[in-house]
Amino acid sequence: MADDELLATHLQELRRGTVVLACLLVLTEANYGYALLDLLGARGFAVDANTLYPLLRRLEKQGLLTSDWNTDEARPRKFYRTSEAGVALAGILSHDWDQLDTALRILKGES
Amino acid sequence: MSTLTDRYVQATLRRLPARQRTDIERELRASIADAVDDRVEDGGDTAAAEVAALTHLGDPARLAAGYADRPLQLIGPAVFLDYTRMLTTLLVSVVPVVAAVVAFLRAVDQAPWLTVVGDSLGAAVTTAVHIAVWTTVLYAVIERTPALRLTPDRPWTPDALPEPPSRRARWGELVAETVILVLVTAFILLSPVVSTEHDADGDPIGVLSPWLFDTGFVWVFIALGVASLGASFSRYYLSWSLPVAIAGSVVPVTGAAVLGWAAATDHLLNPAFVAAAGWPDGTGTWLTAGLIALAGWTLLQTIIDAFAHSRRS
Repeated sequence: MADDELLATHLQELRRGTVVLACLLVLTEANYGYALLDLLGARGFAVDANTLYPLLRRLEKQGLLTSDWNTDEARPRKFYRTSEAGVALAGILSHDWDQLDTALRILKGES
Repeated sequence: MSTLTDRYVQATLRRLPARQRTDIERELRASIADAVDDRVEDGGDTAAAEVAALTHLGDPARLAAGYADRPLQLIGPAVFLDYTRMLTTLLVSVVPVVAAVVAFLRAVDQAPWLTVVGDSLGAAVTTAVHIAVWTTVLYAVIERTPALRLTPDRPWTPDALPEPPSRRARWGELVAETVILVLVTAFILLSPVVSTEHDADGDPIGVLSPWLFDTGFVWVFIALGVASLGASFSRYYLSWSLPVAIAGSVVPVTGAAVLGWAAATDHLLNPAFVAAAGWPDGTGTWLTAGLIALAGWTLLQTIIDAFAHSRRS
């Protein structure tokens, strides 16, 4: 690729917003910041810690996630879980993603 | 807890509202500790793992901006166009006026030429800097306080496109310019023979300095007036081009300079007329200052016009 930086920018633009959907989907099972970072990375949604941590709080503020402090272990951790509103939004976003996928396939002549 | 993490957490919390701090501190410390543990498990000493974990988290200011949902820009796209429009309008309208007023006041004080120009330029620069700074501060505040955006984004419509000056309006200007030139020329030529004041022999005392007529300098003024009118006509009939623009600018600039020079060297008013009419002593000075200000204004107008034309074409 002639311009790696340009490619990186385009990829970033394309993936922007998918992290939110990924979080909403994966947090139907409660999880905490660092573990979620690991998990998303392993599932192909590489995201920076300094993006993810504030994002979780923003989604919580928007009522899409709920949180609970788990103090059972030596290290207290804040566990996030997708709320009902979050599940609903995840449904809408997933549907939109599927439509985009279909539309792209049609554009590529694969329909 | 080690000092490096402490310092990182403090640097982050410092930039956050107090009510968010406790919760974010707990979570952030846990996240950092998790990251350090993870790296230590992979083999590596604690200190190096801590450095790596913090490095990965990046600038605490950026992290805090993320937590606080603060923009990482001074003026964002939502208000940027309003900002530039406001700034341009203020600069173009206020700065020339301030410069002209200062030049006028300094000239009234009979300050040397260099002082007049220097003070005028200095005032212009100071004003421009103040306008730029305070407008920027105002819009940076608006950017951070959405409640201050009183007018919701007005949708743009093609009606907002700038209209080219209509030919008819420019024709009106041309007619007015011609009438003014004829009147002024008549006034100048008649001034030695028609006057409100008369000397002991009953001869009229001209309002303009006899020097102008003795040296024939008065014809220079009239020639400049005619040339200026010619330039206006050629601007009207010829499409804009650099030579026309230069010719059109040279005339008023020369006129302004000559007028300013004549006024400053007391070659404009007839001292005898001033004395006979019983005008106060300061009259000449005030008139001179006014003419110099007018000359300066003409010069400025010419420059602004040239810029506007060159941008439009």
